[in-house]
Amino acid sequence: MFAYQLRLAFKSLRRNPVLSTLLVAAIGLGIAVSTASVTIYHIYSSNPIPHKSDVLFHVEIDNWHPDRPFDSDHPERAPSQIAYRDAMAIMQSQIPTYQSAAFRTELMVFPDGDEQRPFREIVRMCSADFFMMFDVPFQYGDAWDDAADQAPEPVIVIDSKTNQRLFGGSNSVGRSLKIVDRYFTIVGVLAPWRPTPKHYDPTVNAFGEPEAIYMPFNFTPVFEVTNAGNTWGWSSDPIDTYEDYLQSELLWIQMWVQLDTAEQKQTYQDFLDAYVLEQKKLDRLSRPLNNRLLDVMTTLEEREVVPDSTKSQLVVSLLFLVVCSINLIGILLGKFLSRAPEIGVRRALGASRRSVFIQHLIECEVIGVLGGSLGLAFSVLILNVINRMLSNGEQLHLDLNMVGAGLLLSLVAGLIAGIYPSWRICHVAPAVYLKMQ
Amino acid sequence: MEFGPIFRALLNNRTRFWLITVEVALTLAIVVNCTSIFLDKRQSFVSPTGMDIANILVITTEPFGENFAIEDYVEDVGDSDLARLRSHPSIINATPILHIPLSGSGSSTSRKAAGSEIDTVRVAYFWVDENGIETLGVELIDGRNFNRADIEGRIDNGNDDIPRTVIVTKAFAEQIFPDGNVVGRQISNGDDENAATVIGVIDHMSNSWPSASFGDHTMLRPGMVRDSREMNYLVRTEPGTIDSLYTELEELMVSLESDRVVTVRTLSEIKLRYFKRTLMAMKIWAAVVVLMIIVTSLGIVGLTSFSVTQRTREIRTRRALGATRLAILRYFVIENWLITGIGLALGTLLTIGLNFVLAQYAEAPKIDWMLLVGGAAVLWTAGQLAALVPAMRATSVTPEIATRTV
Repeated sequence: MFAYQLRLAFKSLRRNPVLSTLLVAAIGLGIAVSTASVTIYHIYSSNPIPHKSDVLFHVEIDNWHPDRPFDSDHPERAPSQIAYRDAMAIMQSQIPTYQSAAFRTELMVFPDGDEQRPFREIVRMCSADFFMMFDVPFQYGDAWDDAADQAPEPVIVIDSKTNQRLFGGSNSVGRSLKIVDRYFTIVGVLAPWRPTPKHYDPTVNAFGEPEAIYMPFNFTPVFEVTNAGNTWGWSSDPIDTYEDYLQSELLWIQMWVQLDTAEQKQTYQDFLDAYVLEQKKLDRLSRPLNNRLLDVMTTLEEREVVPDSTKSQLVVSLLFLVVCSINLIGILLGKFLSRAPEIGVRRALGASRRSVFIQHLIECEVIGVLGGSLGLAFSVLILNVINRMLSNGEQLHLDLNMVGAGLLLSLVAGLIAGIYPSWRICHVAPAVYLKMQ
Repeated sequence: MEFGPIFRALLNNRTRFWLITVEVALTLAIVVNCTSIFLDKRQSFVSPTGMDIANILVITTEPFGENFAIEDYVEDVGDSDLARLRSHPSIINATPILHIPLSGSGSSTSRKAAGSEIDTVRVAYFWVDENGIETLGVELIDGRNFNRADIEGRIDNGNDDIPRTVIVTKAFAEQIFPDGNVVGRQISNGDDENAATVIGVIDHMSNSWPSASFGDHTMLRPGMVRDSREMNYLVRTEPGTIDSLYTELEELMVSLESDRVVTVRTLSEIKLRYFKRTLMAMKIWAAVVVLMIIVTSLGIVGLTSFSVTQRTREIRTRRALGATRLAILRYFVIENWLITGIGLALGTLLTIGLNFVLAQYAEAPKIDWMLLVGGAAVLWTAGQLAALVPAMRATSVTPEIATRTV
């Protein structure tokens, strides 16, 4: 029966190809626009590390002006970065499974050979645990070890693009690269890695690329490295030397820990509170005790990484789909009712209302699915255009979920648009049309 | 006029009435809100920056030579770079600068009138020398420019005897000195020991974040920040020479000191990069508005055609009873006019509702009522034109067949 009704639906669509094309295009346009914006919203609000997002915690210490909160709109929040001296102190803890203080900087790289000129590259200062915590994939080699963190030893990890650029993509583990004034040994090469959003540091370009080079955090004082991300400060204490900079209340370090159990989390929270209470005796951290451990998704939410325009585009595009559906109702109504004489005869010959209704609804769903497929193809096109316009290099593309969502949307649109016209046509009185024949 | 019969006839055909009404209402809500967002974004892009951006080149140098560890060496390179740049015939003036205006990255701080109780106001700042004002092309409207003493006072950071001076934009000055007296007053970050004197006011200058709420709160501080990591210059060129200078300057800088990476960009290029996302969003919103109007017009064509087809017999009867073609046309036009009108009235409410929803959790400027009127006028015209096509068809229905089939 279903196959028969499908055949009827296609037959009916073929009868008036112009009108049918218009119907399919109408729904396709709505689906294209809404699928594209649902996809963008989905990508921007997605969980970049689903299997671990609730055991990774961003550490916040409320270090701000004693008289006012960091964020006056959300006074309960603490600054999302911490001071270098606090980072160094809490890194001594043995409680977390993994932990890393980290920040983004730029350092001068001197490639060997004459062809390539020195260049400034974006570097992340972090500890070996950074790679474990965020499941950073390696193509060659591995992260450095704890000894290298402590010393610090001149070792680095480079990303796949840098490996391609400097070593033609070959296994460069064991080779060395001059950075600032000394040679670093490459211990690991990352496989292509693009967490979206960039969970470990959403304060700078949450959809940008991860850093090209990773270096042990303890090289910070050695090279007198300064932060290239956001630096926040509230104190007016003078900063004249690099040592002043490190000991200042400037906030520029992102601190992440992995705490696998609730007890571990509680122990770490107690440790942080004890540390801050200790510091208060030294006349520091004079705001009320407010140490926060935020999991990945809470961090992303509080940083408000989803662009405002993405949200409004989502609302508007769904309304756009509604308007397309209303149009569809109008055209379907015309199409179906012009067929009233034929339906009158079918009803007189014994077709039940129900079967007439279902037959027309199936025709609507066929239109919906055809339009949906066309729309999905269009939305791929729209996303490609957007990808090309974005300078960030982020790749927006449909995944299987979104294809499913698009088809579901088109089925729903087909159903919503189809119910009323189908109901109208199954209620035509056969007698009038019999008389007309 | 036949408003009465038309309205009563409409009530007998409620489906079409509601479909068009709701469609028009939704369309008005979307079109007005999208246009409002579009105009808001466009405003942030086209509003003047106060600078002569068409003729400004930005030279970024990243030194890597070991000599750059020596402070005096850095100073010497800076002095010779600037002397060379300023002596170039096509260059009006040049200034050292650390952060680049319109680039999206820079330094900001908070300042208030020294001794006042008012909260501090956020302001972005640039270190420039006495050539800064001319190089940027900003207009000094009050007070004076920096002089050599201001600049040298700042180079030696340890010397606190020399008074600190700043030049601020009018927009920022109005925030911290509401009474209008600006030149000669002191500003501080709340700690009055480190206050600085405002020596001049410039009319307008966008800072590093032109689309931010404090995008025109700009402060110029005197000094030449020379850093062994980065030394940047702004260069104002004679009109029309910027393209030829582009590559020439890169070679010139490398020839003066080769142990550095030199990048030359135009300020317009930097501005475009900053606004890349804004421009993309503008294109998307514009596309939505255009698509929306097309889709709705097509919808009205479809629904009115259907109505004409359905009422063919009715029209024939009316024609047979003596109605002129014009009367038939008028009937459909007035009918459409009524439906669209009701839709637009409903749409006004929806527009405000949607604006409220968008403002709840996303960006949405307040709707300007002129925009609402404009949007309604456009939709009303589009609706009338769309209905005209099928209405013309209705006038071609001839009466004689009607008399035969009834």
